[in-house]
Amino acid sequence: MASSEAEVEAAPQALRGLRVLEFSSGMAGPWIGRLMAYCGADVIKVESRRRPSVVRLYVSPQAPERGIQPTLSPWFTDWDAGKRFVALDLTRPEAVALARRLVAVSDVVIENNSTGVMEKLGLGYDELVQVRPDLVYFGSSGYGDTGPCRNYVTWGPNIEAISGLATLSGFPERPCTFTQFAYPDALSALHGLFAVLCALDHRSRTGEGQRISLSQFEATVGALGPLLMQQLAHGEDPARLGNASLHAAPQGCYPCRGEDRWCAIQVDDDAAAGRLFDVIGRPAWRTDARFASLAGRLEHRATLDEALAAWTRERDAYDVMRTLQHAGIAAGVVQTAEDEWRHDRQLAARGFFESIEHLAKGRVLAAGIPLGLTGTPGRTGRAGAAIGQDHDAVFGELLGMSPEEIRSAVRAGAIEAPDG
Amino acid sequence: MTTAGRGALSGRRILELADASGAYAGKLFADMGADVVKIEPPGGDPARRVPPFWRGEAGDELSFAFLYANTSKRGITLDVTRPAGRELFASLARNADVVVETLPPGRLDELGIGYDALRIENPRLVLTSITPFGQTGPQRGDRGSDLVASALGGALYVTGEADDPPVVLAGSQAHLSACSFAAIASLVALRHASRSGAGQHVDISAQEAMTSVTHICGVGKWLDDGIVPKRRGSGLFASVPSGAYPCRDGLVYLMVNRPQHWKALAEWIHEETGNEEVLDPQFEGPSSRRQECRELIDFFVCELTQRFAASEVYHEGQRRHIAFTPVSTASDVARDPQLAAREFFVSLEHPSGGRLQYPGAPYRLERTPWALRHPAPRVGEHNRDVYVDELGLSEARLGRLRDDGVV
Repeated sequence: MASSEAEVEAAPQALRGLRVLEFSSGMAGPWIGRLMAYCGADVIKVESRRRPSVVRLYVSPQAPERGIQPTLSPWFTDWDAGKRFVALDLTRPEAVALARRLVAVSDVVIENNSTGVMEKLGLGYDELVQVRPDLVYFGSSGYGDTGPCRNYVTWGPNIEAISGLATLSGFPERPCTFTQFAYPDALSALHGLFAVLCALDHRSRTGEGQRISLSQFEATVGALGPLLMQQLAHGEDPARLGNASLHAAPQGCYPCRGEDRWCAIQVDDDAAAGRLFDVIGRPAWRTDARFASLAGRLEHRATLDEALAAWTRERDAYDVMRTLQHAGIAAGVVQTAEDEWRHDRQLAARGFFESIEHLAKGRVLAAGIPLGLTGTPGRTGRAGAAIGQDHDAVFGELLGMSPEEIRSAVRAGAIEAPDG
Repeated sequence: MTTAGRGALSGRRILELADASGAYAGKLFADMGADVVKIEPPGGDPARRVPPFWRGEAGDELSFAFLYANTSKRGITLDVTRPAGRELFASLARNADVVVETLPPGRLDELGIGYDALRIENPRLVLTSITPFGQTGPQRGDRGSDLVASALGGALYVTGEADDPPVVLAGSQAHLSACSFAAIASLVALRHASRSGAGQHVDISAQEAMTSVTHICGVGKWLDDGIVPKRRGSGLFASVPSGAYPCRDGLVYLMVNRPQHWKALAEWIHEETGNEEVLDPQFEGPSSRRQECRELIDFFVCELTQRFAASEVYHEGQRRHIAFTPVSTASDVARDPQLAAREFFVSLEHPSGGRLQYPGAPYRLERTPWALRHPAPRVGEHNRDVYVDELGLSEARLGRLRDDGVV
């Protein structure tokens, strides 16, 4: 993985030659294009000033007085870097005609508008397949494109709520537990990209395109598969276990020295339990009938948790992790974003974080895209593009429009005037 | 058994040598129609004995997690640590498009069946390794788990209540995320292999998978604004209002991001409670405009939601294009009308008797439908199919391998 920059630049990219057209905002749709661009696809995002992506509505907490900064959002980098950007007013027929010309030279369309919006614009699958017969058309929505709730509005955390993720997760005494990372968005994007790649694999062998639709609600319910199966088979809701397990003990998140510092520890078998008892200075527990078997450790979990916490509390979280890992016990620091960058030697050694050229900031850092393609490593071309950044390249070079034709489309309001 | 049309991946051959941390990758391929052959050690995958169980006790091999993650696969047994086992593995890999494996880094090489050995016979092969920390780096040999990857990957620190310890999500989400990246990367590599003739080794780290899916709280944001995201209950930092709000009979979840959604909410609050202050233009615009008065806004929202049942807030709120949703339990999900209308849950007849219901797929592919083709295989169910019918071993040879404990 630790290839030099020059090697990465020279390496082939696996999705080179594929063109993707995105009509999407938020995260669940755009992240698909971000990952495909990382693998070498030409991803063109069609935006509209009427409905900017929420990541464009960024106001820096450092400088709120500057107002909305549509290119500076770190989330715009995370979800949209590596793409090309055009702006069309799709309420105008001339703009729709241009969008169709782009579809004609694209392999994949990705959209995550409300159900029915693309059809109303004249950009539904049935119309687009006329200009691109082998098109792979992917639509993502909160609830899917059929059913009584198909038009309902949702964001990632809404899906944590309605999918059961929030009530199945967390400590028993809490009614529900939420993340700060809108997990269903990432989950939906990953499953959506998998489906798109499957459809492309089918197309490569048969020449056939097709329409795909994804429900973010269903993607998240599916991620709880075994828990839902338990409910469906037995008619009772699975218990909230917090950080505990039905098949490992001790297991949990243990307090370490300092403010809000923790280490996650999981002891999978009798041998690991014995090693743990040595490390925390309780070698006699190796032969204690209460702790020798998993059943015993599960029953006496509270005693174990207390003893382990007494040991971890005196120590630095990274020391706890290293000491336990040295003894062959699964352990990992509960890391913050700052820790990931400053303290994680593993991520650093693997070159996980990506430094990306940013048009306004110079260079920015972003979480890596962990596809692990050692033969065709990915890379991100560029971040921080303005609205309409790539009009000349896309309308001029790709569609063959003359500068005068582009100017006239801007004057007519079909192409929205670029920023800057 | 369902009679399903050809899946998008029909004709693709996948070999899976994976424990519970990698089985979901094989499921993604198998339910899309690929021929996934799952290799278990003789006696069966220990994941079969992980509770909770559909029926019976440990040993009956009806673990829900195993039944879910292994649908539509064929199952064979093989001890790849034995010389005869290695040879059979190499023969199977010769005809595979993708091998998915979860052994500790370097273990396949030690056995003489690592990527460099397998590619000699099958240069187009994609070998996808899913491990806790990846194939390289100082921690490559460390022990991992779903909990540990979720901790290191930044998920725990930002999940739950501010005053509670950090907490993991239900359902092994680090493994699931790693498997999703693995399936994606395998198909990307397969496309390259089809065009160039060259396969590659795909190196998936569960820690990195989690660090990536949590990136909204990650390094990019922190380096930009210097604010370390923390767990803070149900509301999202950047969205005001957002969170779980009390109703007469339970909780409802609300999130407002777009200016017009705030307007619709403010109007409803005003209509229902007579609150004039909520219409103040100072609250209008993106969430950042309301960040300073978050508590006051929450109070306004509670005044509205407490008047109604959760289902009333949900449907009336959605009628007004405001993102309200119920905070559902598993039994609510099992009875959810939207999922029912879409026939999301599917059931399969199990060979041991009885039907079992499964969550379906999140994606609908019009031409090449996703399907649960059959339930998870029994231990060694397809040994004869694979070893005799496909690899051409004699029945006698298979019998000897079984007697020797190789299969």
